[in-house]
Amino acid sequence: MMRENDIIVIGGGLAGLTAAAVAAKRGKKVMVLSLGAGTLTIGGGIVDVIGYLEGNKPVATPSAGLLQLPAEHPYKKIGRPAIEDAIKFFKEICEEEGYPYMGNLDTMQWVPTAAGTIKPTCLIPKTMNTEELQKANKVIVLGFESLKDFYPQLITKNFKKISRFKDKEYETVMIDPNLAEGRDVTALDVARWLDTEEGISECITKMRKVIQPGSVVIIPPVLGTRPNYRIADRLEQALQCHFIETASVPPSITGLRLRTMMVSYLKKIGVRIVEQATVAKSIVEADKCVAVVTEGIDRERTYYAKSFILANGGFYGGGLLAEPGKVIEPIFNLPVEAPEDHEMWANYSLFSNEAQPFAKLGLEVDEKMRPLDADGKVILNNVFVAGRNLRGYDYSFEKSGNGVAIASGYQAAMSV
Amino acid sequence: MKKHHNNPDSCTACTVCIANCPVTAATRKFRGPKMVGPTLERMRLSHEDVEPSLEYCSNCKNCDMSCPSGVPISTLNMLARAKYYKTRKHSLRDWILSHGEKMAKLSAATPGMANFGMKMSRGILKQIGISEKAPLPPYAPKSFSKLFKALKQKSYPDKVVFYPGCFINYNDPQVGMDFVAVMQANKFEVIVEDGLVCCGSPLVVNGFLDEAEENAKTNIQILKKWTDKGYPVITCCTSCGLMLKQEYQELFHIEGVQEYAKHLYDAGEFLLDLHDQGRLNTDFGTLNEKYMYHSPCHLRAQGMGLPGLDLLALIPGLDVQDVDGGCCGISGNYGFKAEKYDIAMSIGSTLFDKIKESRLDTVVSECGTCRLQIGHGANVKTLHPMTLVRRAYEAKQK
Ligand SMILES: Cc1cc2nc3c(=O)[nH]c(=O)nc-3n(C[C@H](O)[C@H](O)[C@H](O)COP(=O)(O)OP(=O)(O)OC[C@H]3O[C@@H](n4cnc5c(N)ncnc54)[C@H](O)[C@@H]3O)c2cc1C
Ligand code: SF4
Ligand code: SF4
Repeated sequence: MMRENDIIVIGGGLAGLTAAAVAAKRGKKVMVLSLGAGTLTIGGGIVDVIGYLEGNKPVATPSAGLLQLPAEHPYKKIGRPAIEDAIKFFKEICEEEGYPYMGNLDTMQWVPTAAGTIKPTCLIPKTMNTEELQKANKVIVLGFESLKDFYPQLITKNFKKISRFKDKEYETVMIDPNLAEGRDVTALDVARWLDTEEGISECITKMRKVIQPGSVVIIPPVLGTRPNYRIADRLEQALQCHFIETASVPPSITGLRLRTMMVSYLKKIGVRIVEQATVAKSIVEADKCVAVVTEGIDRERTYYAKSFILANGGFYGGGLLAEPGKVIEPIFNLPVEAPEDHEMWANYSLFSNEAQPFAKLGLEVDEKMRPLDADGKVILNNVFVAGRNLRGYDYSFEKSGNGVAIASGYQAAMSV
Repeated sequence: MKKHHNNPDSCTACTVCIANCPVTAATRKFRGPKMVGPTLERMRLSHEDVEPSLEYCSNCKNCDMSCPSGVPISTLNMLARAKYYKTRKHSLRDWILSHGEKMAKLSAATPGMANFGMKMSRGILKQIGISEKAPLPPYAPKSFSKLFKALKQKSYPDKVVFYPGCFINYNDPQVGMDFVAVMQANKFEVIVEDGLVCCGSPLVVNGFLDEAEENAKTNIQILKKWTDKGYPVITCCTSCGLMLKQEYQELFHIEGVQEYAKHLYDAGEFLLDLHDQGRLNTDFGTLNEKYMYHSPCHLRAQGMGLPGLDLLALIPGLDVQDVDGGCCGISGNYGFKAEKYDIAMSIGSTLFDKIKESRLDTVVSECGTCRLQIGHGANVKTLHPMTLVRRAYEAKQK
């Protein structure tokens, strides 16, 4: 049968896309079944590995953080060597696609946010690197007229409270992209404006009037929608300035770039991506999955493969469903241990220092990422789990979302 | 089976659809899928609200494809547009663009004159708001139904019903003939029913929802006779396919559509299924040729991957690469409209650039209007996958 795949990946988020890339690079025939465009486009487009431990304790470097995690954490199962290989693999893709990421496990990267705070992370696009910012005496914060969600004054005010940035001189400037017509202006609109030849030349002309050559300039993430540094390079050359993008709010331009890059890479290496494919159920014989079935508005379709990687996200992505008193994994019906008492799911104190219990709910796996039952026995031999549906971590609290997605996607595809 | 749900409240305002809407990227006049779709729909439920920028949605369905919450955004837009036109008059231009089938029949009444007339009346078309630069398709000298009737098919016990659609019937009948030849090579007899009408897609996008529903009823009544008996119904046009099985369910409430939709296939999908069953004739000759492939949005929206591309991969020697350049911009008749022409060309520019970069002179794609727009924008020749499959069979016989 021609359409039997070696591997079917369920879910087109960062975990699924990474798993598909790794598997295809290993010479496997891979198909991705995916519903929607994933959370990548709303996420930050940066790869957090680990920033905080339980009790809100910051870690010095991702490496140091990895050493201190509890045994139940997915990273502990994956192990340091595989995490390193996964990061290397990811960075190679970025390099190959002409959108290199920087960073490593031994350095904590601090990226500025639009609120004027800084956020710890691990891998970042070059445009979010703050080294130049730390060296600079004078910093310009550049905003765009009518752009919501980016207020230069707010950034300046808050930066002055951050020890590493406080002894600098700040200036805020605005330029007008003339985009007021039609609808509210978002960073996406400005980025699309800069994508065009007229947009970028007009922007350069306007910037020349308000920024001096040699400045370090903080701007919202507007340096083009495509996964490359052409817009950044062009501006830096024309103005002889250094530009630093802040982390963005949805729709995230840096996230959009990351997704576009991953999808384009996968297509180049021969991975088939089926869009609008909602996997509804699986066909299991003994301890093996034979096929998965998608539901369409017309009819069901059956997809056969030798192995399957389940990377359909957590509660937000659609991989886990919460029902009164229980949590369900809808495709394989894998067990999810959850306190029966709903009250125990959430930590109701606002701004608390503890992770959210419900965020740590998910699937238990062995070191190969195969799902386990309550007694620690492998349930399905040819099914591997990756990403947000894994148990034992609260990504948003500890800042580890895309790191776990990449590392577990890598590990799952290497275990097949 | 998934039931459609037109519930705007599933929207979590995540903005993914905005990032993926090609019209939003091309013009600021459009407020974007989230605002025009689910957000306004909530208000429309309570009071009459006119959103002028609704006019800009092209029904390309990229928003639906990207939404993580399964909101049928484009359908909400089309329903709102229909509501808008309940109390307002359509322009002559929109009437003409929506009624291609009627226009074709009128032209057929004056054989030989139609295309000449088309050239003559470009000026008039411009007057009524059809772009003079738009790649309007010429009529074929003989329609598919005429050619088909003159064809002597071999009879086989296995039969499929073919739904040609207006574009293949009046503008590009060769695609239909290629399809018939391919089915014959696989020992299938093709049935074409006389009373079938336009699927209604051009009517829906211009707000003629009631007329589209009439067409839907006519087509379903005819096709259901066959699908009830288990015969597959096959289309070679992706917009017809999407309309016949998905949009009929989302837009109208017609008895039994869910059952009937199970038997509707895209030609490529049907042939690949035959292959899975070990029943596809794979006696292909070698085609040492190289092409780019463009996936129509309306195919991607169907959740079956890119069967045409997989099918062509079975032909020895043939090298077909996915351009992966996104929407071509034409969206049925959107790009023909004077005020939308530039938007459509701007949407398609990524695709055109990628095609030009490839330096190949022919692009393969299932959708007839995508082919027109690509030919126009990238200055290349175009083909339907069925044409290549037919050629591969013929190459063997030589
Ligand atoms: C607003 C926001 C901001 C974030 N910012 C950051 C950040 O800056 N840095 C960071 O490291 N992390 C960030 N994260 C976390 C990070 O995005 C996720 O932890 C990580 O990307 C999870 O990836 P995933 O592939 O496991 O899941 P998802 O991205 O959720 O992908 C799951 C995919 O599976 C699909 N799917 C679901 N059900 C089915 C089905 N039945 N059939 C087929 N497909 C299905 C979904 O549609 C989706 O495409 C952020 C998250 C959010 C929500
Ligand atoms: S159908 Fe196309 S044009 Fe209309 S809102 Fe959706 S993505 Fe935009
Ligand atoms: S993608 Fe879907 S859920 Fe997100 S804003 Fe658009 S309609 Fe709402």
